Amino acid sequence: MAKKHKPAPMVEEVSDFEILEVAVRELAIEKGLFSAEDHQRWTEYMHTLSPLPAARLVAKAWLDPEYKKLAVTDGVKASLEVGIDWVNSMPTKFGTPSDYCNLRVLEDTPKLKHVVVCTLCSCYPRPILGQSPEWYRTPNYRRRLVRWPRQVLSEFGLQLPEDVEIRVADSNQKTRFIVLPVRPEGTEGWSEDQLAEIVTRDCLIGVAVPKPSKTQNDKRPVHPAVRPVEHH
Amino acid sequence: MTTSNNNDAQKQVTLENLDTTPIPVLEKIRHEGRVWGDLCKQYGVDNPDPPWKVFLEGTCDALAEESCALPVLERRWEEDELSEELYQEVPFPERQLLALAHSMLRRGLIDEQELARRMEQVDRRLNMV
Repeated sequence: MAKKHKPAPMVEEVSDFEILEVAVRELAIEKGLFSAEDHQRWTEYMHTLSPLPAARLVAKAWLDPEYKKLAVTDGVKASLEVGIDWVNSMPTKFGTPSDYCNLRVLEDTPKLKHVVVCTLCSCYPRPILGQSPEWYRTPNYRRRLVRWPRQVLSEFGLQLPEDVEIRVADSNQKTRFIVLPVRPEGTEGWSEDQLAEIVTRDCLIGVAVPKPSKTQNDKRPVHPAVRPVEHH
Repeated sequence: MTTSNNNDAQKQVTLENLDTTPIPVLEKIRHEGRVWGDLCKQYGVDNPDPPWKVFLEGTCDALAEESCALPVLERRWEEDELSEELYQEVPFPERQLLALAHSMLRRGLIDEQELARRMEQVDRRLNMV
């Protein structure tokens, strides 16, 4: 007799937000703003995105000095080895303005820490790093990181000594960034798979550093911005 | 696809003239809609994102890339503005959805009455069983 499994919990009601999402999408399709096929193509593309390829890129770079050279000189070419084709794998088949084809891999050293932001909006290397977290999109993070990076990093739990230089990379429509952090002590002899597990999304943005025992991102506070938005 | 929208009501919206006054059909959702975090607590679900988020992302990209009806930068700037002016108490990604609908309504890409009607239809459909 087959064992009875307890069903996984699920939300058993339809929210007004879910209804709004469907209604907006259907109206947009009916008005010819995009087709159902267009939408399906973009949605399927979204489903393929995650931080795993970027974590794999870092792990490979830690293990292979030649690959590291390639990564820091030609991020797009290095991405091919972790399955990401910035030019041809987009739904548009030529890269898109929102996921442009120029990836730069920023190598940290013991005296240099990189951290990524998009001060203009929320540009993010989605093809190789997945969807951006909420805090990355907030004006509070975007405005303060460029002014007070050490302070913001300390709020993320990353206390850096004064003699470590911090460089903030500002993403834009043409260029996206990921951080290649310093390989932590205690990972000697580890395989690529083991190393990739500790390269979290936050390490790749630069607000955290890899640790041998840490494979999850921390929950981050989201702060509002007090002053009104000004785009110039 | 590059089909243009023939809706005569389409308006040129810039950040300077973005109308952030509340829109009744969205206000009802803002005040009465149950957000994903609350639903998760009630039903014991730990998925961090609602299942509709990926469709929302698809809509945002398709609007920008297929017809340029709502370019990324304009949508994100308006989302920033609306998030601070009107929807600051709504969590993400519900806030992103409200801001998108707000931007589309203010641009005349969709109409408030037809959105309300469509929501009623979708509600009936999704709750038929």
